Amino acid sequence: MTDVFRRLRYWIQSARRNEALREEMELHLAETAAELEAYGMTAECARAEARRRFGNVGLKHEESREIWITRFWSELGQDVRYASRTMAANKAFSALAVLSLALGIGANTAIYSFMESILLRSLPVADPGSLVVLNWHSRPPQNADKEWAHVMHGLQGRAWPGDKGEMSSGMFPYPAFEMLGDENPVFSTLFGYFNGQTKTLAVRGEAASASTEYVTGGYFRGLAVSPAAGRLIGSGDDRPGAAPVAVISFATSQNRFGGAPNAIGQSILVDNVPFTVIGVAPPDFFGVDPAAAPDLYLPLHTNLLLDGDRAARMYRDENFYWIEMMGRLRPGVTMAQAQAVLAPRFHQWVAATATTDGERAKLPALTLNPGAAGLGSLRREYSKPLYVLLAMVVLILAITCANIANLLLARAAARRREMALRLSLGAGRFRVVRQLLTESIMLASLGGAAGVLFAIWSVRALTFLFSGGRENFTLHAELNWHVLGVTAALSVVCGLFFGLAPAIQATRPDVMPALKNGRGGGARRHTQDVLVVAQIAMSFGILVAAGLFVRTLDRLHSIPLGYARENILLFSLNARQAGHRNPGIATFYENLRKRFESIPGVKSATLSQSSMIMAGEAGGTYMGTIKIGAAAIEGAGVMVTGPRFLTTMQIPLLAGREIDDRDQPGSTPVAVISEELARTYFGNENPVGRRITFVDDKRDLEIVGVSGNVRYGRLKEESPMTVFVAARQFSPDRVTYALRTAGDPLRYVQSVVEIVREADSGIPVKDVVTQAAEIDRTISREVMFAKLCTAFAVLALLMACVGLYGTMSYKVARQTGEIGIRMALGARRGAVVWMVLRRVLLLAAAGLAISVPAALIASRLVKSFLFDTQPNDPGTLALAGAVLLSAVILAGYAPARRASRIDPLAALRQD
Amino acid sequence: MGRKAHKNDSLPGSLDMLILRTLSRRDLHGYGIVQFIQQSSDNELLVEEGSLYPALQRLELNGWIDGVWGVTPNNRRARIYKITAAGRKQLAVETRKYAKLTLAIARVMGAE
Repeated sequence: MTDVFRRLRYWIQSARRNEALREEMELHLAETAAELEAYGMTAECARAEARRRFGNVGLKHEESREIWITRFWSELGQDVRYASRTMAANKAFSALAVLSLALGIGANTAIYSFMESILLRSLPVADPGSLVVLNWHSRPPQNADKEWAHVMHGLQGRAWPGDKGEMSSGMFPYPAFEMLGDENPVFSTLFGYFNGQTKTLAVRGEAASASTEYVTGGYFRGLAVSPAAGRLIGSGDDRPGAAPVAVISFATSQNRFGGAPNAIGQSILVDNVPFTVIGVAPPDFFGVDPAAAPDLYLPLHTNLLLDGDRAARMYRDENFYWIEMMGRLRPGVTMAQAQAVLAPRFHQWVAATATTDGERAKLPALTLNPGAAGLGSLRREYSKPLYVLLAMVVLILAITCANIANLLLARAAARRREMALRLSLGAGRFRVVRQLLTESIMLASLGGAAGVLFAIWSVRALTFLFSGGRENFTLHAELNWHVLGVTAALSVVCGLFFGLAPAIQATRPDVMPALKNGRGGGARRHTQDVLVVAQIAMSFGILVAAGLFVRTLDRLHSIPLGYARENILLFSLNARQAGHRNPGIATFYENLRKRFESIPGVKSATLSQSSMIMAGEAGGTYMGTIKIGAAAIEGAGVMVTGPRFLTTMQIPLLAGREIDDRDQPGSTPVAVISEELARTYFGNENPVGRRITFVDDKRDLEIVGVSGNVRYGRLKEESPMTVFVAARQFSPDRVTYALRTAGDPLRYVQSVVEIVREADSGIPVKDVVTQAAEIDRTISREVMFAKLCTAFAVLALLMACVGLYGTMSYKVARQTGEIGIRMALGARRGAVVWMVLRRVLLLAAAGLAISVPAALIASRLVKSFLFDTQPNDPGTLALAGAVLLSAVILAGYAPARRASRIDPLAALRQD
Repeated sequence: MGRKAHKNDSLPGSLDMLILRTLSRRDLHGYGIVQFIQQSSDNELLVEEGSLYPALQRLELNGWIDGVWGVTPNNRRARIYKITAAGRKQLAVETRKYAKLTLAIARVMGAE
């Protein structure tokens, strides 16, 4: 203890101590010399003899100091100081290295923080490790004749394809939930929930949309969450007939009530039904699905109040799959044990729900999955894209490291004499390597620190790209300590990676030749070439990926829509959630449409059940059989539209008229069909005036017009033929308005919001977006890949060119003498340029020889991200090759030109 | 210097003991310590002078000696070292250890 204290005191006084020690030693030498002189030696001899007797003064001084300060730290201090001086002396090099490392490390940090938040992070609840998610999987529901034969007759929620066309889902019928919850030996709690979509939440007369989660009474208990205020939903609240209560998210309590305590006991309207707020969820709680952060948690059975008759049927139906489940394992029970207990129980239950042999042949089997990280939807959606992006940024970082290693190698050559001198004076090789590595790691650490700043920016940019502009996007990556730790480790590894080879090379023990002529040996040239070839190969890989993704986006953009993309404003209203009912609701929507049309600058306004790009996904569509005469129509999509839809969307009208004000509830139901539908089922006859039958609705519609072909639904999917029907006659619950505007569509949002508030302040305006953005949103992943990869490719190419330029400049400088001799002997400038460029092309050729086969194999991994583009698309490969070669020649030309300008006389004199 | 003196490296750690023993007689500066050891050993022990200073630092770090600025017999400023109470205890320990060791060696050498 006192020892530590004394060391500390010494450390503080170290400068003074040092001085004292030196003085003592000098005194010693002086006294020895004086005594020797007294014996008759000359002063000079005496001093020399005194020194000889004393030994190595510097070394002893060091040793004395080391008694107090451990050697490692003092040397580290020296190294850091030395490295700072070197870095300051080479400002351009240091800045370039730090900047490129910042980009490389920053990009890695950003992508990694997304991976961390999606793939690795646990739910913010107590003991997440004991949570399990219940899923099932079965053989594909369709049989060979494409007919549906499965115990699941209806599904509300998600199902996803598993291995070999299997179907998997996390949705179960409610009776299965009751059965599994009864006397469960392996779970301490089994709880259920299902997505309530967005509801209209009115607080003190102000309406806004709120994403809603229906939860069973055991939900919060099972997750072991405690409220930020009030109490959470318990089993008493989740019964038919219980008082309607609600729990709101912490963010909602802040935004809508001005604080969690204020919200407790308040009355709210959810879709116009009164509820009482009983509690607020904790701030970091986002439910069980990292992809969704509900604003509102309602007891499961309140869907009887909100979702009508359909909800009551759902509880009894054993073949309708809609509730999701999670369980908390009892202490000491493993997931495998729980599955062994529950799977047979579920099998027995589900077997009894099958009615035909076809259904019995492929019963769903229960599987348990770890629930610590919540539901897997985000992981399924983003894990592969993230791995692809991670592979790219790792490549970029590798290119960066290779680049810096290359520059360091060139510099190591310049410092060869210095190193040789140090080594011959007795510096340990390890000591010198350590000093050089300190410098590299300092560069890398600075790069890492700057990289964190870059990462903060890129996480924001990436969130924006991932979300594709969706407002309720909940994937929030952040730089936490875990991520920063990884960044720090990455920086150190990078420093070692690019520093080690140059350091070892610089301290090769063949010091004599270096001391003699200062011109180095041959091995380093190889290392540099290998690094350049590797850089070129990696850049080519990234270029090919960028090419493929840009081409995919281009293919998607060149799909003919058949309707206007620009200057259209879209937004949605749901008047039903504010209490409007048939038949008034259709009139309400129509009156609003007329008011929108009267906004100055709005050329025309229309409404439809959804935007064209989302057609077939957002409810209200007639899905039954359609017939023309006796012929059933295969693959036709129905679009419910208001008046002037074709005009607003600029869809050409080929015959007859479009749907307009004449089409009222009482008049003849009408339809407009697309050209392809007309041609397929009427040939060359004029379909106007003929009939089309919606069999399941028992409605006969008169065809009044033929439109041009339009893209119905998403870009990547097969587009069906289209039947437009009148909104007044089919009355959708929710509608999407489309306004064709002069100039930027978003300028009109304010007027729209005012008009809606005037009409009914209880209806929030939702999903305000331009048509172009709405379309791009459906291909956000492709847009993201194209943009990011283009940026990556430019970066990679730039780095590879800098590396190549540096290497070639260095080579030309070293060959000055040789080139001088050649020119003196009559070599032409062209020949000298060619001599340098030939090397460049040779390096590029070697790089391509490695990377073309590699790219051909690797591009297959991204096949699922491509659209209408083959992974080995020859055009893309050729283009990437051409771009790479021109960049390489450009980078090599400057040194080549410099070589050709060498003055033979000056060059020869220099030697 | 025709006669080869014994460098003090046969018994590691014995330099510390010699310094402590020297300082237990009188306070001295670095050069004085070397002189004293050489004279009192009849120039039989030759301290490697450079090694004295790391040893002095080590002893000071352990709290066995204490250095303060003073004046040499030649009237020059120097750090004069004195032994501390802890240093005397340490000297006793080392002396005992040394006696044991020399006895052991003598036995080995005396054995036929």
